[in-house]
Amino acid sequence: MEQNKEYQIVDGVEKLEEAIARVRAAQKIFATYTQEQVDKIFFAASVAANKERIPLAKMAVEETGMGVVEDKVIKNHYAAEYIYNAYKDTKTCGIIEEDNSYGTVRIAEPIGMISAVIPTTNPTSTAIFKTLLALKTRNGILISPHPRAKNSTIAAAKVVLEAAVKAGAPEGIISWIDVPSLEMTNLAMKEADIILATGGPGMVKAAYSSGKPALGVGAGNTPAIIDKSADILLAVSSIIHSKTFDNGMICASEQSVIVDDSIYTKVRKEFLDRGCYILKKDEIDKVRKTIIINGALNAKIVGQSAYKIAELSGVKVPETTKILIGEVESVDLSEEFAHEKLSPVLAMYKAKDFFDAVEKAEKLVEDGGLGHTSSLYIDEIAEDDKIKFFASKMKTCRILVNTPSSQGGIGDIYNFKLAPSLTLGCGSWGGNSVSENVGVKHLINIKTVAKRRENMLWFRAPQKVYIKKGCLPVALDELRTVLGKKRVFVVTDQFLYTHGYTKCITDKLDEMGILHQTFFDVAPDPTLACAKEGAAQMCAFKPDCIIAVGGGSAMDAAKIMWVMYEHPEADFLDMAMRFMDIRKRVYTFPKMGEKAYFIAVPTSAGTGSEVTPFAVITDESTGVKYPLADYELMPNMAIVDCDMMMDAPKGLTSASGIDAVTHALEAYASILATDYTDGLALRSLKMVFENLPQAYENGQTDYKAREKMANAATMAGMAFANAFLGVCHSMAHKLGAFFHLPHGVANALLIDQVIKFNCVEVPTKMGTFSQYDHPHAMARYAEVADYLGLKGKTDEDKVNALIVAVNELKEKVGIKKTIKDYGIDEKEFLEKLDQMVEQAFDDQCTGANPRYPLMSEIKEMYLNAYYGRN
Amino acid sequence: MDKKAKLIATRTSKNIYKDGDKVIKVFDENYSKADVLNEALNQARVEQTGLPLPKLLGVEMIDGKWAIVTEYIEGETLKDLMKKNPEKTDEYLNLFVDLQIKIHKASSPLLTKLKDKMKRKIAATSFDATTRYELQTRLEGMRDHTKVCHGDFRPSNVIIKPNGEAYIIDWAHATQGNASADAARTFLVLSLHEEPALADKYLDLFSKKADIPKQLVQRWLPIVAATQTLKNREEEKELLTKWVDVADYE
Repeated sequence: MEQNKEYQIVDGVEKLEEAIARVRAAQKIFATYTQEQVDKIFFAASVAANKERIPLAKMAVEETGMGVVEDKVIKNHYAAEYIYNAYKDTKTCGIIEEDNSYGTVRIAEPIGMISAVIPTTNPTSTAIFKTLLALKTRNGILISPHPRAKNSTIAAAKVVLEAAVKAGAPEGIISWIDVPSLEMTNLAMKEADIILATGGPGMVKAAYSSGKPALGVGAGNTPAIIDKSADILLAVSSIIHSKTFDNGMICASEQSVIVDDSIYTKVRKEFLDRGCYILKKDEIDKVRKTIIINGALNAKIVGQSAYKIAELSGVKVPETTKILIGEVESVDLSEEFAHEKLSPVLAMYKAKDFFDAVEKAEKLVEDGGLGHTSSLYIDEIAEDDKIKFFASKMKTCRILVNTPSSQGGIGDIYNFKLAPSLTLGCGSWGGNSVSENVGVKHLINIKTVAKRRENMLWFRAPQKVYIKKGCLPVALDELRTVLGKKRVFVVTDQFLYTHGYTKCITDKLDEMGILHQTFFDVAPDPTLACAKEGAAQMCAFKPDCIIAVGGGSAMDAAKIMWVMYEHPEADFLDMAMRFMDIRKRVYTFPKMGEKAYFIAVPTSAGTGSEVTPFAVITDESTGVKYPLADYELMPNMAIVDCDMMMDAPKGLTSASGIDAVTHALEAYASILATDYTDGLALRSLKMVFENLPQAYENGQTDYKAREKMANAATMAGMAFANAFLGVCHSMAHKLGAFFHLPHGVANALLIDQVIKFNCVEVPTKMGTFSQYDHPHAMARYAEVADYLGLKGKTDEDKVNALIVAVNELKEKVGIKKTIKDYGIDEKEFLEKLDQMVEQAFDDQCTGANPRYPLMSEIKEMYLNAYYGRN
Repeated sequence: MDKKAKLIATRTSKNIYKDGDKVIKVFDENYSKADVLNEALNQARVEQTGLPLPKLLGVEMIDGKWAIVTEYIEGETLKDLMKKNPEKTDEYLNLFVDLQIKIHKASSPLLTKLKDKMKRKIAATSFDATTRYELQTRLEGMRDHTKVCHGDFRPSNVIIKPNGEAYIIDWAHATQGNASADAARTFLVLSLHEEPALADKYLDLFSKKADIPKQLVQRWLPIVAATQTLKNREEEKELLTKWVDVADYE
């Protein structure tokens, strides 16, 4: 080793402060290096450390008096070569990842100064390992060697530093304490940005209490189980190979072997044949007293040969003895052999069976190896269940199978996905912040640049929508010709049934030879009881097709029956759970359509339920409404035939027609609105404005107006099936539920308030959605006014004109002006108001509203609508 | 001091007299004034906890020597009783451990911190730098507690009055800190001066009664053993060195 350079000796606190300042200054420069520069330095430093592996190993053994030179050569070699190989292509500087579609960039930055504590057991290899990691990550590193191994640790650090500087690294990027003391180590840790501590529990605790982030590792007490299915030759040789490595000083090394009773004799013989010494009864006691003093490991035996430890204990064994084995029974800490021994001394236990062995291993891990490593020898192919059981029971971060644990635990030698490392994280069980083998990723800060991206949206509608006056029988032909359906269940309400509305359907079914059954007990605001009854009938009849005929109630009830028929186990409370984003909801709606195809035939123009994924059902026992929303609830086919609507009474025509208006207006203003839903909403609105009054006045005869209204309602349905609604519907749902107002009427009473509420440039809060970039509801409503041909100079004028037009339309179809006008008692209204406000606020529809409402604002709107205030 | 005062004990650098209902501990001339005052202050502080100990009555100069005057407690030490009635050893040990746990339940926020004291003592030992580093690291890793610790709790420091009441004397080494450290110290003292079997018995009983795992007490043994070397007793050296030389590696 040529080391001629002079370094400032760090032997006191002041000198240490200076050294820290030098490392900091060097690191500041180093932080600006490119990946190419860093990789060149990393390469040069690895090569230099590699070249010095033998002198450094000799030095370490000479200085500490522990371990085996030839094995330390392997450790040094490993630290230089495996670490280089593992990270040579790893990006650690600047942009390490870029994703344009998602708009993310990940940038690696150095952490700053690492404080590294190096143990006596691996004084050179750990130094090489930590300095190389620091160089690869553009960090500065300050080394606190152990006093017993300071010269060799510093020599290793110098080799790496000098090669790094020669390859262009800033001078002083690696520094060390020459005369270590706890005070200086503590100071180094306090001043650092991160601590890479390897050492005894005391040192690790000190690291964690320094107040700086620490990657500390702890003690191991690796148990190795030899199952009866194991390859005994492989198992015994592996354990000997591992346990003798550097005289047992790797913390992952086996401390005890637990052997199944049925193979115990064979395993014992194999250990004897391979040069291990099994201690006689009186010898066991002598060794016990030597290895452990007052529950602590005797420093004199650490890293010594089996022969020497035997000699210290007063036991005579052949000089070539590989391991001293004590056959013991207790896995409790009162048994000296159950401790971590850091030497070629091994405890051997006999287990009744596999489970007894696992139980013993669990206890041994608890004795002093929590989080570290455990090992199992087994037939991997035949005994997978046992491996899984073992893995589930071991509180260790490395669970090795058929692997010598010293060489196996450090990674990349016996398994090539376990990261190579000389600092093995032990997780929270070991009081560590990492549970894996420490690598470069733990020494960089990763910044994520997240650019704004807009959500993917969608447009979903029933697979088939058939439209035209008189199309119903034509469309139903498909049941036989295309779909091959055999059993149809019709759901409708009493009025429609008795007035023969389903007759045209059942006649057609008879004609086609399709069996059918009709449920005609759906009442307005359908109940769970009603749906259950229908579902029970379905379950008995086993339809392969359901036809819902009616308004929103019949269609919603049929949808719920459909769910109960297909998934009797489904829970409505779960299905009705509120979501922020339908794509991220917690509940996964069950798959629909496996048993029956769903056809919706609307008999009023407004609800849109024939094309929406929504259904509302009321639990009659509690009065709770379950609004269900999921695209699984979308009908498979909608048949829009105004022949089914010609006889609708005036009140129904008006209420449902106005409902369609609010659907279109809210879908247009929604934060989820798309070009696709906009077109449908605008066109639908125009058609309603032009045709609702005629349909209202001359519904029985004016089939053209009826047909336009039918299409307008379905189109509005498609718009809000995708863009969703807003706070008008939130409020109308609760107003309707509390005071039994028809749904369309409730909406009509609130819509002008909501338009005004949304149309502010400075809302208290705006809706949260990526594509909703600024409050623009006013401009959106103005677009609606434009499309309807309403005049106005400014957007504000246009919105006012829109409100006037909406109010005029309401008047034309007999909608009263205020909630009060519908005979709702003022006192009762005011009493229930707060409850209604909170429920409306929490309604599923609120989320899509462009203005996020405060509860006080909802209350204000309710009051305005009640009294007719503007 | 009255001429009638009777010398009742002689210890390294101090003589202890009985003078009526008082005990007078007279220190040698060259004894540190600070240590005398500190001992008196410790005793005064612990007195405030309500633990059973002789009251401090004064700190005086007697013939140019510092002296601490306390109440005299009539009775026999637990050590003498143990010797006299060996068949009652278990009973006495039980009482001994109960008293120590009672001490640990007390708190006295102004007492010296045990870890600070240990840190100073380790630094003052003549072990090599590596060993001191190991010991300091071990100490650093110990939890910070604030229990009153006697610091030299042994059977000869417990006096049983004829009515059975127990008093604890000699508070010179009192600190606040970790009960395990105090127990480790007692274990060490018993191992050095009594039968090792009694020490083992003590540790098992303490661990059970205090509900502190034996290992936690044992973790302190290298530290208390190291501090004991400051007494420079040749006969203790071998055992203490053995206890100190343990590893605490990864």
